[in-house]
Amino acid sequence: MSRPFPYAYISCPCANTPVPDPSKKRRSRESPQKASSHHPDQPKPPPRFDDSEDEQTFDPRAPRSNFSLYPPEHLLYCEDCHQIKCPRCITEEIVCWYCPNCLFETPSSMVKSEGNRCARNCFNCPACTAPLAVNTLENVVRGGTSQQGPWVLSCGYCMWSTLDIGIKFDKPTNIRTQLAKLTATDTNPSRSRQMSRTFADLKSPLSTFSSIDEQFPPAPGEARPDDSPDQSNGPLSPDARFHALKSFYKTQISATSSSPSDPLGVDFGAGFSSPGALNRIMSLYTSSSRLSSLYGGASKKPKTKPPVMREALTASEGFKTPAADAEAVLIQRMAADECGWDGLASLEQRVFQSPDARFVEELLPLATLLRTKRAKRCKSCKHILVKPEQKPQSTRFRIRLIALSYIPLPTLRPLVPPPAAGVTSGSAPGMNLDALPPLRPTQLLLTLKNHMFDPVRITLATPSVTPGRVASKVTILCPQFDIGANSDVWDEALQGNTTAAGAAVAGGGTGSNATADQRSSRSGAAPATATTAAPGGHLGMFEKVAEAGKVWDKGRNWTTVVLEVVPGTLPPGSSGVTLQSRNQAPRTAHSKTTGNDSESDSDTSSFGGQAPDWTGQAAEMQQQQQQQQQQLQPDEDVLEIPVFVRMEWDSENQIDRPGVSAAGEMVKRELAYWMVLGVGRIDPSVLS
Amino acid sequence: MASTSFTNSAYDDNKRPFSMSSLRGTPSSPHTPQHHLRSNNSSFASTTSSTSFRGEEDAIIFELGARWLRAGFEGESAPMCVVGCGPEECRRVGDYRGWLKTNNPDTDPAQSRPLVNPEDWASAYELWKMDLRGADLGLVEDKIERVFRETYNKYLLTDAGTSRLVLVLPAIMPHPLLSAMLSTLFSRWRFPSITLLTSATMAATAAGVRSALVVDIGWAETVVTGVYEYREIAIKRSTRAMKALLQETGRMLTCIPTARRGVVSQSAPGDSGISVRFEFCEEVASRFLWCRPRESSSSADLQQQQQEPQPNDSETEPTTQHPPLSSLSQRTVEIPSPSNPGSTYINLPFSTLSEPVESVLFAAGTADCELDDEEKPLPLLIYNALLTLPPDARGTCMSRIIFTGGGANIPGIRQRILADVAALVAEHGWSPVRGKVIEQRRKLANLRISPSSQVQASPQNPAPPLTTDPSEEHHPVPSNDTPTETKSPEPSTHQPEPKPDSATETPKQQQQQQQQKIPEDPPKTSDEEDLEDPIEQKIRRNNRDRDRDALPPSIQGVLREVESLGPWAGASLTTSLKIRGLVEIEREKYLQHGLAGATRDYETQGHHIPDRRSGLRAGGGGDRSSWTLAGWG
Repeated sequence: MSRPFPYAYISCPCANTPVPDPSKKRRSRESPQKASSHHPDQPKPPPRFDDSEDEQTFDPRAPRSNFSLYPPEHLLYCEDCHQIKCPRCITEEIVCWYCPNCLFETPSSMVKSEGNRCARNCFNCPACTAPLAVNTLENVVRGGTSQQGPWVLSCGYCMWSTLDIGIKFDKPTNIRTQLAKLTATDTNPSRSRQMSRTFADLKSPLSTFSSIDEQFPPAPGEARPDDSPDQSNGPLSPDARFHALKSFYKTQISATSSSPSDPLGVDFGAGFSSPGALNRIMSLYTSSSRLSSLYGGASKKPKTKPPVMREALTASEGFKTPAADAEAVLIQRMAADECGWDGLASLEQRVFQSPDARFVEELLPLATLLRTKRAKRCKSCKHILVKPEQKPQSTRFRIRLIALSYIPLPTLRPLVPPPAAGVTSGSAPGMNLDALPPLRPTQLLLTLKNHMFDPVRITLATPSVTPGRVASKVTILCPQFDIGANSDVWDEALQGNTTAAGAAVAGGGTGSNATADQRSSRSGAAPATATTAAPGGHLGMFEKVAEAGKVWDKGRNWTTVVLEVVPGTLPPGSSGVTLQSRNQAPRTAHSKTTGNDSESDSDTSSFGGQAPDWTGQAAEMQQQQQQQQQQLQPDEDVLEIPVFVRMEWDSENQIDRPGVSAAGEMVKRELAYWMVLGVGRIDPSVLS
Repeated sequence: MASTSFTNSAYDDNKRPFSMSSLRGTPSSPHTPQHHLRSNNSSFASTTSSTSFRGEEDAIIFELGARWLRAGFEGESAPMCVVGCGPEECRRVGDYRGWLKTNNPDTDPAQSRPLVNPEDWASAYELWKMDLRGADLGLVEDKIERVFRETYNKYLLTDAGTSRLVLVLPAIMPHPLLSAMLSTLFSRWRFPSITLLTSATMAATAAGVRSALVVDIGWAETVVTGVYEYREIAIKRSTRAMKALLQETGRMLTCIPTARRGVVSQSAPGDSGISVRFEFCEEVASRFLWCRPRESSSSADLQQQQQEPQPNDSETEPTTQHPPLSSLSQRTVEIPSPSNPGSTYINLPFSTLSEPVESVLFAAGTADCELDDEEKPLPLLIYNALLTLPPDARGTCMSRIIFTGGGANIPGIRQRILADVAALVAEHGWSPVRGKVIEQRRKLANLRISPSSQVQASPQNPAPPLTTDPSEEHHPVPSNDTPTETKSPEPSTHQPEPKPDSATETPKQQQQQQQQKIPEDPPKTSDEEDLEDPIEQKIRRNNRDRDRDALPPSIQGVLREVESLGPWAGASLTTSLKIRGLVEIEREKYLQHGLAGATRDYETQGHHIPDRRSGLRAGGGGDRSSWTLAGWG
C-alpha cells in the first residue's frame, strides 16, 4: 500500500547482477594460502544460486526487492548501454549547493567549512523541525527611527523560541555566527537559562582552532595551579575538547619525533633538517627503502624503539573524567516534575544535537542543511544521464534521459464487470481495491503506453501463481502484442474518435488513472487523448467481453490487455496451512529447482552444495514456522503481480560510430525487465 | 605521513603568530611550525598541509555499527549525521507510508497489535547480525549501498568515492560480512582506498589515553576491550546489551495492564512476545531508562559484610543511599500509553523504569550459577576482563575505563558499574579462584594482615598469597577494603572514611575522593614512582624540557572513568593527524583478490599507529605492496 492502488513498480535489471566478490575468483583458483587454512578435501563452498536468478520469478515480497523496485518515473535510461538505470547504477556529481530555505547558492569552497549548513539566517526548530523566523522582541518607533530590540528565533509551528534556551541576538543578521559564539562558551547545563547574554561581552576562545593555543599556559613555568586535574570537569564542550586533544596530539607528535634519537636530526645535522629540505625531497623520490638504506641504517633503530607520547592529563589537553554526581544530577532532573516526557528530547530531536543534549531545553536551533543539485552519469559507460542547470532557482535540465521516454508506461485499472457496475458506472467505482474478495476472478486492464518514436513489440510473462504464501492465480489474456509509435500528435487528432472509447474508461472509471496519464505522459499526445476521450462516454464498454488472445483495446501509441486475477486466500489465523513463511519461500524455491536441474547431470555436486547449509536452514525454518506461520506479515495481504516485460523494436542507429554504419540503418533492440503491479489488498474478513 | 615537517627546524620562532617554544620549553632541535591553522576546508588542505604532497581531499569517516551509522569528515569533532537502517529506511522508493498517519497499521491505534517474537521485533532494525547463518548478505549489501548513497547525498554533500574512506568497525567482524561490505563499497564507488580502524582503540584515542579499558555497551553485545598502548590485548563479550535491554523494556511495556486491553499474557515473561512498537519502546528507553546506584543491601554486599570486618561501613551505606533514591522511588512519570501512544498517557513509577536495566545488564535476580559464559553481567565482565590483563596493564587500564556505545547513555550506569566492580575487587581481590576454602583462607589472611600496617608500607614486600599481584599493592579499593586501607602509607587521609562522620558520603563520592587524592598525595606518588611504568618514565625523561610539576602524574591502580569523545571522533582525530591505519585496503588490490589477498603476517608492519615518523617509510610496509587485515584477518 505504498502508493494508492493500483500501482506499478519497475525492477531495475541491475538487481540481477550481484556485487562481484573478488575473493571468489581467488577461492576458485585455490590459492596456497587458502589451501593451508582449508582442508583440501573439504568441498568447495556452494555456488551461489544467484547466478540462475534471472530465470527465477521475481518475488516482490523478498526483502531485497525493496531495494530494486522503483516507480517508473524514478528511473533513467542510458542511451549508450540501452539499459534502464536506477539510482544504484548511476554515479552522481554535485553541480551546486544551495540552501533550500533561502535558495542561496553556496560556493563549493565554503560548503564544508560551514558544516554543510546554511550560513545565513536559515534555522530549523530543534523541537519540530519547522523553519524558524527571526523576530524582534521590542519594536519601538520613536520619531521616525524604529528601535528594534534584541532578536530571537521563533518557530511558528510549535511556538518554540530561542528565549526558551535563554538566547537573544543583537543583530537580525548573521545569526549563525552569533549563535556559534554564544554556544561555544557555555554548553555546561548548569548555566542559568534565564540569564540573557549579549553577543558583545562573550568571547569564545575555543571556537576556532587557532585560538586554542593561546589558551595554553603562556609558559610552562607559569602554569597556573588551577590547571591541574581538579579542573578536569571544566566546561569544555565536546567540540573544544576535540580541538584540545588534537593540538595535544600534535604537540606530542612533534615533541616525540624531535627527540634526540631521531635519525634525521642526528645523521644530517641541523643543516639538513630545515623545513623544506631533504626530508621532503627524499620522501618524494623514494617510496621504497632504497634511499633510506643509502642514507644510513640508523632508520632501523627507531623502529625498535619508537618514541612514545604521553597521555593527555589535564583538562586543557582534552582529558576529562566525569563529575562524580553528574549522573545522579541527570537522574534527578529526569524524575523532576517539571521535566516529564516532553521535557526530555526525543531520539529524533537528538540526532543532530550535541551528544550530551538530553533535555529539550538543551536543544539548539539547527541551521538548515544544504541541498545539492546533482548531475548523474551512467556507472558503466559514464555518459551523462541528467544534468540540471546550475542556478538553484532554476528547475530546468540540460540533459534528462528519463526511462519513461523509452519504456512503456504501465497503468493498471480494474475492469468493472458490466452488470455489477450498475447504472452509474461513472460515479461509483465498482471495485474496492483495498478489499479484494478472495477466490473471485477479477479482471484488470493493463495499458502500456509507448513514448518512443518506434513501434514496439511487447511480450508479457507472469507466473501463473504469485509467489509467497498468498497464492493468487494470474492469467494474461493476451501476452503478446504491439504498441504503435509515438508519432505526431496531429496524426491522431486527424484520425478521429475511433480510439477514444478505450481511453474513456480511463477517464470515467477511476479518476486517478486519467490524472496519472496526464502527469506522466511527456509527449503531449496523451493529455490530448485523455481529455478528448473523456467526454466521449462509455459507449463501447458494455458490449465488450475479455477474450483470450485478443487485445482489449488499442490506440495510437498504447495498447490495453486484460489480466485475470483470482486473489488467493489469506492464511487463516492459527492453523498452519501454508508452510513456507515469507522469507523462506524464495530459498526453498531455489533449492528445489536447482535440485531438479542438476539431478540429470550430477547429483553429488548439488547435494554437496546443499549439505553445509542444511542444518542451519532447517533449524531456522522450524523456528520461523513456529513463529511466523500464524501471523500475517505486514503487507502480505497486498496482491502484487510480478510481470516480466520484454520489448523489442527496430530503431535507427542513432549513435554514430565513425565508419561503422550509416545513420539510417535499422538496429534491432530489445529490453527486458520485471515489473510489479500492485493490484490491491485482499479482504481479510473473508476467510475460507 | 605524519611528521616529516615536524622534525625540522624553525629559526623564526619569534616570528610565528603563536609561540611553540613556550609550549615545549626549550626544544631539543629546531622545529617546523605546525599547521594549527589548517582548516577543514579541503580546498585549502592541499596548500597548507605540507605533509600531503598531492592534493588529497579530506578523508570521510564512517563508523558502522549494528544499528547506526555515523558519517562525517576527518578533523571534525562530531559526525555530520547519524543514520539508522530500520524498516522505514528499507522501504521501496516512493513508498511514503512512514509519513502517513492515517490508514497506517503501524500508527493506527485502532488496531491491536499482535504479540511479536522479541527477536523478530528487533531484527528488522539491524544492519547486520553477528550470526550470519540466516542472514541474507545480499540484503546487507543492499542496505549498505543505500545508506551510504543517501548519506552522501543528504548529509555529506560531496561526491561519493572521490576521497579516501575510513571505516571504524568493531574489532570482530565476520569475514563474509566484511567482504560483502568492502565489495559493495569498492564496486559501487571509486574509493581509492579504505582504511579500517577498530572502534575500541579509537575510543581510547578520543579520550587522550594510550591504554584504556573500553566498555562498549553496544546493540547485540557488550564488548569490554583492554587496550594497552593502542593495542587490543583482551576482549570479553556478553550478550547483555542494548538489544536485550530494549526487548526487556518492550516486555515490560507490553505487560502494563492497559497496554493489551484485557489480553493477559499467561506465558512466562522470558519468552513472551512484545506488542508495543519498537520505535515507541526505544523512545521510552532513551528518555527514561535509568540505573539505580549500587545498593549495599544486595546479596553480594551481604556476603562482603560477612567476610570483612567493617560493620560500621555497611551500616552507613544504606542511609547514604536513601535520600536520593527514596525521593525518586515514590515519584511517578507520565509516559504515553503503550497501546495508544498518540492520545493517552499513563503513569509509571519512576523506579519501574530502572528495572529492565537491573535485570538485563546487571542480571539482578539471577543466580551466578545460572549464567552462561556469554551472558555475564557487566560488572563481572569488566572484572573478568581486568583479570585477564597482565598486572601492570591492569593497573593502567583500570584507571582508564571508557564507556561507549548506546548503553553508556543510560544515566547512572557508569557509576553503578564502577561501584559494582569495586565491590567485586573488594570481595575477591584479583584472583580467579573461587570457593569456600579460599574464602576462609582469605579471611584468615585478612585477619593476619590488618593489624600490621607497617608491614605493608613497602610495596615490594611479598604480599599475602591472594594478593601477589603488584597492581593490588597500589590499589586503594574504593569500597573501603580494610587491607588496602591499612596499606596506605598516609593513614590520616584514609582513616576518616570508616568514621561515622563520613556517613553522608556515598561510595561514589568516596571513590571520587580517592581518585583525586592520589595526585595530591606526595608520599604515595613517590611510592608509585618506583612501580611506575617504564614507558611512563621514559616519556617523562624525554619530556624533561617540560615542567614536570605542571603535569599531574598519571593515575594507576584506581578504578576511574575517563570520558571519551567516542570512536568516531577518535578516528577523526587520528586521520586528521595523518596517521595511517594499519589496515589500508587499496582499491586495485582489493578488486584483484578480495579479502583473500590480505597477508597474514601483519606483525611485520609495526603496531596500530604505525610509524609516525613516516617521512621515510623504511622497511616493513614500505610501498605497501601487500596489505593486511591485521586484527580482522
